[in-house]
Amino acid sequence: MTSTPDPFTALGLPVRPDLTDERVRTAWRQVATATHPDRPDGGDPARYAAASAAYAILRTAWGRSEACADLATAPPLTGRIVPAAGVPATPPGLARWRAAAVIPARIWHGRPVRLAVRIAAAVVLAVLAMHTSAGTPATAGLVTGVGVWLALTVRADLAPPPGR
Amino acid sequence: MWWYLRARLLLWLLRVTGRAIRWAVLVAVLIAAAPVTIVAAVGFAGAWLRGWPPARLRRSAVWALPMTGVYLAGRALQVHTWQALALAPVYDWRHAWHQVAAGRVVTAFALTAPVAVPAGLFVAAGLWAWRLYAVENGLAGKTATAPVVFDARQWRRASRAARGRVTAPGTFPLADRRGRVVMGATVRTVGHRWRPVTAVPYAAMSRHQVIIGSSGCGKTNLMMRSWAGWYAAALADHHQHGAPRPLLIVLDCKGGPDARTKANRTRTLLHGAGARRVAIWPDEATVSVWNLPPADLAVTLFQLIETGTGDAAYYADLTQAVLTLAVTAPPGPPADGAAFLDRLEPGWLEAAYAGDRSRLGAVAAARRSLGDVSLRYRTLLSRLGPGLDGPGMLADADAWYFILEGTREQSVAEAQAMAITELVAHAATSRAAEPRAILLACDDYSAVSGRVPLWQLYERGRSLGVGVQVSAQSWQGLGRDDDERRRICATADGGIWLMRTPYPQPISELAGTRRVIETATKVLGGVWGDEGSSRIQHAWTADPGIARRLATGQAGYIHGGGCTWVQIARPRPSPLPLPPPPPEPVVIPAVQEPARPTAGVPAGPPPDLNDVFGPETRQ
Repeated sequence: MTSTPDPFTALGLPVRPDLTDERVRTAWRQVATATHPDRPDGGDPARYAAASAAYAILRTAWGRSEACADLATAPPLTGRIVPAAGVPATPPGLARWRAAAVIPARIWHGRPVRLAVRIAAAVVLAVLAMHTSAGTPATAGLVTGVGVWLALTVRADLAPPPGR
Repeated sequence: MWWYLRARLLLWLLRVTGRAIRWAVLVAVLIAAAPVTIVAAVGFAGAWLRGWPPARLRRSAVWALPMTGVYLAGRALQVHTWQALALAPVYDWRHAWHQVAAGRVVTAFALTAPVAVPAGLFVAAGLWAWRLYAVENGLAGKTATAPVVFDARQWRRASRAARGRVTAPGTFPLADRRGRVVMGATVRTVGHRWRPVTAVPYAAMSRHQVIIGSSGCGKTNLMMRSWAGWYAAALADHHQHGAPRPLLIVLDCKGGPDARTKANRTRTLLHGAGARRVAIWPDEATVSVWNLPPADLAVTLFQLIETGTGDAAYYADLTQAVLTLAVTAPPGPPADGAAFLDRLEPGWLEAAYAGDRSRLGAVAAARRSLGDVSLRYRTLLSRLGPGLDGPGMLADADAWYFILEGTREQSVAEAQAMAITELVAHAATSRAAEPRAILLACDDYSAVSGRVPLWQLYERGRSLGVGVQVSAQSWQGLGRDDDERRRICATADGGIWLMRTPYPQPISELAGTRRVIETATKVLGGVWGDEGSSRIQHAWTADPGIARRLATGQAGYIHGGGCTWVQIARPRPSPLPLPPPPPEPVVIPAVQEPARPTAGVPAGPPPDLNDVFGPETRQ
């Protein structure tokens, strides 16, 4: 399917299957205009050829889908498949780290303003509780209650994790 | 006489005094337990205004218990006896009244809140449950219409609250951490446990489901969410537990321009759910019916054309014999339609079976009809178009979206649907190929159910381990007659999604009834008396009246003797980039499979210079 190693790089595009036709076309036009052999300076025939081949692949949504999959996948499976039943592909610790690493992006793509208001409200309530009855067990209880409320509701303002 | 009047007056005074004392005690208790009273009143009012069930308040009360726990732990550090710890809330309550007397109301509430909040919410839940019970059973309300008005008002409020909640992006991902497919915000449950978010187990999605909803009721969103959610959950199961990779096959049986829009939206959603190859047929990709095993291919080709019964049986047998000869010939099955048509020539068949006297005899017997058979199949294959002529296999992609023009060309679409279901059956049963978890979703299948009735598709899916999801615009669209429709719905062990439809009674009947108390009250002289009777009655689990009035995007999920009314959340893929896929399972190269052509990707015209510098270039 792929005649170039990475058609997305050849057109200066991110490796995403959901690029629009217009975006691919614009990228191709930019590269082609800068590298065409008919340019007075002779252009860059090798890069032009690579970009042409890449555009032929990426011009349709299915082609982009295929190219993306080709980049992400190992060679096609042939033969008998031994299922890895019961063996987690990703260690749980690593999965947790990955989940924590995407939290900033989840905040940014979610509802950051609402989230800020929610956190601010929780902080105000906690400060008020500490101010009114500082040092008492009731204060600790109230702060815990506010924390539980925040933990239960904060997820609503985050974008869903990748793949879900 | 005077004695009698004085006695009546005394009795009346006693009754009034008794009532006054009762009210006074109640008010005193409410005031004394003011923090609990306030929380209970707020909780009760919130439930009334938002249409919450009592379970919602109970959940809040349970989640408030950690604050009580921390408070008691803190108190336990200060006091050293159980008695003192048990009386600690009482001391704090007494201290709070001193704070109130000093004008520090907030401090007073803060002192008592760790106990008052969960206690108040539990009290509110109990009171709200009693209120609902009383109104539903005719024990409360000033007029006869009170239960009906109350129920309609609470439904409106619950719907409004659910509509507001589905806009939260993080609450409604496509699939949750436990591998369930998240569908939307719960409006009301009958016979099901109430949860704020309605999520269907992934296993239920892999069994048979029926979706019924008229045009414009939000059926497309529901289906897309279920497809993408199923894919995300199945892929997570594959990565985490080594389950088979998912393969989603969607048959859009009506076609038309809308189908292309839906296909592109589905593709975007599935990419977000982790699918890498999403093929749209026949616009962008093709499959090859010629990849079927020869025996299956011969049967499929035979079933693709009308053969008739009675006197036509002779020609049917003849056609089947010719097809078997052509497809199972020694050189192997034909690679494409052209190769198949070439085989329907006496010369080719005689050469292929040279030396096999019995088969040559069959060829000689069929010689006279070969031209007719060839003509019929030439016409059929030209009508079916190149979409089924390959190259490509279902296994090449993670998801397929088949667009069948069932409205425009019904007979062609029926044949296509039949061939595709054969390919799905082959993909599900082939031992040589990688095992896949398959969900076959058929949108408006009635448009193409002429050759393969829906019940047959269901039963085949069940025997092959393929989940089948079927949608129809109405009860009548599910099948030809009531028997067939009931058979389809009764075997939908993955549940039935009932959306707005003018004729929901049969589905409501299948969902069953629940026992309720019906109270009748006497009307005396135009006012309600205090006499009446109660009796056990049966009420719908899935009320057809509600189903008729459902707003866009609302659905009832009927499963396991209960019904959950839900506001479906519009499916949106996660905007975050996908993590790299984990390594694939180990492959032992054992059998060298014959080389197959790669997926049928349209090459597209090569870019020419006009595309860049020519007059047609758009900036």
